[in-house]
Amino acid sequence: MQKTVLKQRTPAGMLDILPEAAAVLEKLERDIMELFYLWAYDRVITPTIEFAACVQPESDGEDHLYKFFDRRGRIIALRPEFTTPIARMVSSRMRELKLPLRFSYSGNVFRYTTDDRPREFRQAGVELIGSASALADAEIIALAIEALRRLGIKDFQLSMGEMSIFVGLMEETGISEGLRAQLENALSRKDIVAIEQLADQNRLTESVRKILLRLPHLRGGVEILDEVSQLSNRPAVAGAVENLRRVYDYLGEFGVQDAVVLDMGVLRGFAYYTGVIFEGYVPGVAFPVIEGGRYDRLYDDFQNPLPATGFALNLSSLVTFLPEQKAPEEQETVDGEQAGQVIRRCRELRAQGRRTVMALR
Amino acid sequence: MSQNHLTIALPKGKLFEDSLQLLAKAGWDCADIREDSRKLVFDLPQDRARIIICRPTDIPTYVENGAADIGFVGKDILLEENKDVAELLDLKFGFCRFVVAMPEENLPPRLPDGGYDLSALNHRRVATKFTRVAQTFFNERGMQVTTIKLHGNIELAPRVRLAEMIVDIVSTGKTLRENRLAEVAQILEATTRLIANQVAYRIKHQRISELTGALRRFV
Repeated sequence: MQKTVLKQRTPAGMLDILPEAAAVLEKLERDIMELFYLWAYDRVITPTIEFAACVQPESDGEDHLYKFFDRRGRIIALRPEFTTPIARMVSSRMRELKLPLRFSYSGNVFRYTTDDRPREFRQAGVELIGSASALADAEIIALAIEALRRLGIKDFQLSMGEMSIFVGLMEETGISEGLRAQLENALSRKDIVAIEQLADQNRLTESVRKILLRLPHLRGGVEILDEVSQLSNRPAVAGAVENLRRVYDYLGEFGVQDAVVLDMGVLRGFAYYTGVIFEGYVPGVAFPVIEGGRYDRLYDDFQNPLPATGFALNLSSLVTFLPEQKAPEEQETVDGEQAGQVIRRCRELRAQGRRTVMALR
Repeated sequence: MSQNHLTIALPKGKLFEDSLQLLAKAGWDCADIREDSRKLVFDLPQDRARIIICRPTDIPTYVENGAADIGFVGKDILLEENKDVAELLDLKFGFCRFVVAMPEENLPPRLPDGGYDLSALNHRRVATKFTRVAQTFFNERGMQVTTIKLHGNIELAPRVRLAEMIVDIVSTGKTLRENRLAEVAQILEATTRLIANQVAYRIKHQRISELTGALRRFV
């Protein structure tokens, strides 16, 4: 058969990873999975293909799933992430286990985006299932920071927010569902101009305007929580602020507080995240390398209501960023007239654990 | 690049002078920056920054990918390019409107409210630079149209029967009149925006909010 032009290409967004990059990726992954193991997270492996109904995000305007039909006409999809498949797995097969559960994963995920970004990339992450405590939130954030440190990244920042502070404040204001959806959409896109315009157009009260225009810009250390408290005396909001304060204190005990910025503007995935939420940034990488937070409603979808938190780290984005860390391993080449001798010598060397190339005559 | 250093992307063309003037008003030393030179990168060591000059439609790409931390760009381009960037400030200049226009001799019937009844224009062809904006507008009205992507001189398309209508940005309407076209619907209004890379917005927050605050005083 002829090699047509198509045969030499890959579909859009699909990349070959050549030996040097593959070695870096493998090293990163090994280091990080070791760290997760040390924190007592057990690795699980879920399928690459799931029913689309399982992994379909509920509020996703643009559909980013790779979808196919199976032989019975049901829609199946390549996994776009691991959290939902793990929720499915836990809810269908692990209901009897003692809580909390700690799982880690690594593998490729697929996003059928419309831009020029890679559509397959490698993630590693953890899920902590069955605990709603502030200590669980702190454990996950501390682990995220330790992961970046473990990878040898010196300069990074982790920004931490709280979804329920904003949601609680919005409930208090009694604004309409429709406007709230518009505001949430604008906040997720970090569209400050749209928020200001919506605040102007809808003749909101001064206190609501203040929340909308001030809250997303509140950023710093623990001192900003006092300012947040002043925005409302509603118990739900006060509780969320108190929770955030506790998480922040625990992060001090974990020895990672210096890497954390409290940022009330970190707000995204309103249908999904329910509590403490965070993103990890590395200068030189244009997208967050870590995304995570508390998602206490996801397990409801699987009739198994459980609180949970976790994060995913985008390994692929770090490969191009990190300099090659590893010198090429030493290897020996065995050459000779007698194939039998050569094979025996290779076997000896490999049995000693030495990387051996057999010369081919 | 250090966390205190900013790269700012300015658009060539009609927004360039206003963008530069605004930066100068905010206290930046922009005296040496010229659009007409071949130079595309200007270092401003005093302001711990550099300015790069880009094609307007490329600015969201530079900013999304972190090649620039900050950009000045028209909302029209932001909507069409649909990139993942933080939109920080409406700079109010560079006002223009997205409109649907048709040949004067072939206008649709009027509605009681004075607007035009576009409902008979299903399945017609729309020439535009802004296919995303055009498709969104017609989709939201439950209409189906065929967009034809052009890169300039959109007004020409109806005259040579490439399309029945156009979607384009207008500031005074003079070009439309000269080509015997009339506006039949406004899609939206656009002005220049200050945008930021989403990671720079967090890790260079101090500098970016200082800049935003300084610019805000002059818009």
